[in-house]
Amino acid sequence: MKFLTRINRNYLILFALIMAGVTVTGYSILHVIIMREAKEKLLSKEYLIEKQIGNTGEIPNLHPIIEVQKTAGNELIKPSFRKVVIKNELENENETFLEYSNEIKINDSYYLIKLRQSAFENEDLVLILALTLFTLLASAFIISFFVTKRMNKTVWADFEHNLHEIESFSLSANSNISLIKSDTEEFERLNRVVTELTDKLKSDYLLQKEFTENASHEIQTPLSIALLNLEEILQHDLKEETFQKAATVISALKRLSGLNQSLILLSKIENKQFEANRSVSLKEIITRKLDEFSVLLETKALEVKVKIEQDFQIKLNEHLAELLINNLLSNAVNHNIRGGRISILMTGASLKICNTGEDNSLTNETIFNRFVTGNPKSYGLGLAIVRKICETHDMEINYYNDELHCFVLRTKL
Amino acid sequence: MKILIIEDEIELLIAISNFLTKEKFICELAENFRKADEKLSIYEYDVVLLDITLPDGNGLSLLQSIKKQQRRAGVIIISAKNSLDDKIHGLDLGADDYITKPFHLSELNSRIKAVLRRKKFDGSDIIRFNEISLNTESKTVIVKDKELALTKKEYDLLQFFLINKNRVMTKEAIAEHLWEDNIDLADSFDFIYTHLNNIRRKIKQAGGADYIKTIYGMGYKFSQ
Repeated sequence: MKFLTRINRNYLILFALIMAGVTVTGYSILHVIIMREAKEKLLSKEYLIEKQIGNTGEIPNLHPIIEVQKTAGNELIKPSFRKVVIKNELENENETFLEYSNEIKINDSYYLIKLRQSAFENEDLVLILALTLFTLLASAFIISFFVTKRMNKTVWADFEHNLHEIESFSLSANSNISLIKSDTEEFERLNRVVTELTDKLKSDYLLQKEFTENASHEIQTPLSIALLNLEEILQHDLKEETFQKAATVISALKRLSGLNQSLILLSKIENKQFEANRSVSLKEIITRKLDEFSVLLETKALEVKVKIEQDFQIKLNEHLAELLINNLLSNAVNHNIRGGRISILMTGASLKICNTGEDNSLTNETIFNRFVTGNPKSYGLGLAIVRKICETHDMEINYYNDELHCFVLRTKL
Repeated sequence: MKILIIEDEIELLIAISNFLTKEKFICELAENFRKADEKLSIYEYDVVLLDITLPDGNGLSLLQSIKKQQRRAGVIIISAKNSLDDKIHGLDLGADDYITKPFHLSELNSRIKAVLRRKKFDGSDIIRFNEISLNTESKTVIVKDKELALTKKEYDLLQFFLINKNRVMTKEAIAEHLWEDNIDLADSFDFIYTHLNNIRRKIKQAGGADYIKTIYGMGYKFSQ
């Protein structure tokens, strides 16, 4: 959910709660006040009637508002308020009244006084007041809601821009991040932190890049010297034992050099030093690679079945795409048995390469790890490189062993 | 043929120059940018081997001045960085080839010969060895007036042997020449036997002799 949407939603919920609360309590308070006022009015009326009877002896009667009756005075009625329903003869409908009844003694005579006031008036007043309160609050809120919404939009516009800038930031593109200056202190602080962080990231990235390149150089150079000299030794007339020893050392050094290059490659992929500018066709690559592998396949007498339903295209650096297919095919050939099979199935969104081979205890979780190998002659880095390429390019690679050893490559959903 | 070798590692410089001298090249050496620049402004070379990481300057800027001063010269970059960017950049700047350390001398030899051929310094497209005659232009091999039906890889391999005749080569060197670093060579070099046996058989069928010698099961040599 967007930040502003969230704020607006919270604002609306909060408002609804406040409105409900304020209206209910406001209504109750007003109700209490107005009822008390009404009761006071009735009491003061009682006093006036008492005075009038005392002075003139006249008994006022105004149905249904004032009713006074002379009584024997033995019933002992306590002053009380209650609600009564009385039929209005004029309009022929029932009306609710607040009734006050009391028995008072004036000049040794007892009178029962019943004073009434229409409850309807009181309720109406309360309702009108509560409604006014509600309307005022609601309009104040609506105005402030739209004003803040508008203001938020302008205030957050720079933030939106900067966020977009940060999103599109790429280390390997070697571009600088350009953030819009903000008058808002918090945003400016955020900008400063982001700029500092990206600068740090960039310098770390360059250092790492430089390190891998230097490491490569520093290791390859002495290896070159050793290898060139050993090769020259081979040119002499050597005894079989000496020759084999020298040749073994050459193989070992070659392995070391290959290992070094693979590790550097892994760190380069991890560093995202390979830019992908366009989509590559895996169909094209696999067809070319199979051609390159043809002698190897022939040598091992492998039967290859290729089924391409649709070209699988992915956005990947061309060199990495070649490497990916190369390593998967190499794996299918290297760990195959003589006279075995390789089957390749490509759909528009996946590539499956299956091969016959000896059973091993490797699983989907372990087979892609570095230096894990089912064959002592391999480095155990080929599949690690495959997984690294997938991880850094929104792809998935999975392995399962179900009669055949299968690797399934697909784009991440 | 005159070659200038620019390389800051003295050991490497000596190993390369010893080998190339044996291959009948005239070698001049420069172990830093200053010396290389000086030599390039005085003498003319057919091929320049250029290490692009020099202690006192960038080899790539040297490449630009070579291209300006010595249009004839073929340039092969030697780099310890197996970096695609560097390779593309170097070739864009006018280098003829790019070779990554560690390399085999036989491979270097084959690359130098290829540059010379491309520059037409060799004068001839034909490489001859007794009854075998290989045409680098049409990429065909003729043995006793019969043309061999070789695959592309078989032709490559035979040419590699002819260029490096009398030299013992390891299986690694041969495999690397054929596949560069495209194939993870974990398993074995079985496929080299397949290739070699095919070549041997085809030459034999045309009436030629078998010149490919196996050295103690670990290397090969093309010789009398």
